Amino acid sequence: MGKREVVESCMDNLMIEMVSAYCNQFYATKPELAARRIEAIGYHVGHQLSERYTMEHPRFSDHLEAIKFICKDFWSELFKKQIDNLKTNHRGTFVLQDNRFRWLTRMSISPTNTDLSQDSSITTIENKALQATSMYLYFPCGIIRGALSNLGIACAVSADMSNHPACSFVVRVKA
Amino acid sequence: MQFFGGSEISPAPSAPTGSGNNAHMMYIFNRNGVCLLYREWNRPLRTLNAQQDHKLMFGLLFSLKSFTAKMDPTSVEKGNLGVPQLPGQGCSFHSFRTNTYKLSFMESPSGIKIILVTHPKTGDLQEPLKYVYNLYVEYVVKNPLYVPGTPIRCDLFNTALDQYARSLA
Repeated sequence: MGKREVVESCMDNLMIEMVSAYCNQFYATKPELAARRIEAIGYHVGHQLSERYTMEHPRFSDHLEAIKFICKDFWSELFKKQIDNLKTNHRGTFVLQDNRFRWLTRMSISPTNTDLSQDSSITTIENKALQATSMYLYFPCGIIRGALSNLGIACAVSADMSNHPACSFVVRVKA
Repeated sequence: MQFFGGSEISPAPSAPTGSGNNAHMMYIFNRNGVCLLYREWNRPLRTLNAQQDHKLMFGLLFSLKSFTAKMDPTSVEKGNLGVPQLPGQGCSFHSFRTNTYKLSFMESPSGIKIILVTHPKTGDLQEPLKYVYNLYVEYVVKNPLYVPGTPIRCDLFNTALDQYARSLA
């Protein structure tokens, strides 16, 4: 029990520091590059994780089966729970919704966290807060993209956090 | 003549009604004396402005800790009076009680000091203070948007704390 807590705490803190290092130190003036680097790291991690978790699995018959694998087995290995809701338009777009995304449960998006010395209209503060939080979503997006690409499905993944703490990942398969 | 217990001049306060307003206020300081959090739920009397209040509180605790460590009759090795001790070294005082309130104190090894002021008839609060420290770790330290060393402004932490304070007997 204690070991799990240590591991999870290490992982949480590593995530926080990774985003902070890339956004504030390495690419402080270029947030898009920081986002791309973080997503690339996630890509590699997802690639290798899916290799490990599909060891005894038979080949997937179609895209939907692969996405269902991501929603159930893969997500439970990573976050100890499954994706809560999966929607698709049957034309290559899938929406995976997690109602309580583990890495973001402790984030309070209170507007007072951000710097109030500049103009303090509510929308700009909220925008800054949203921008800060969206940085933390690139890593899981990369994980999903890497896992799917290892299964042979090229795609683009984006995330949406408008109803915190629920978080949805939109997967668009490239035809 | 009533010497002990309440008198007409300063009657003992009524026992906690159990309606959830036992906790009066809470302070959280970090190792450098920055007041990370000040929350009050029930404080009818305020004598100083906020800055002085926090400085006074931190100074008091610093001195009390030094004093209790120095006056410890059981430990063999003691530092000089006034030298700051590493957290966890020597003994640490837990609480003091007056006829109107009780102040409980806990310091973590990382130097985070948690102070809780409650009704005088409250029991030992070391376990609740540890729980508050756990809340702090969960909702503040692990909040990606929090900058360590700055005042805490996390909604999740505040709501969890209010809820817990209301449930203290």
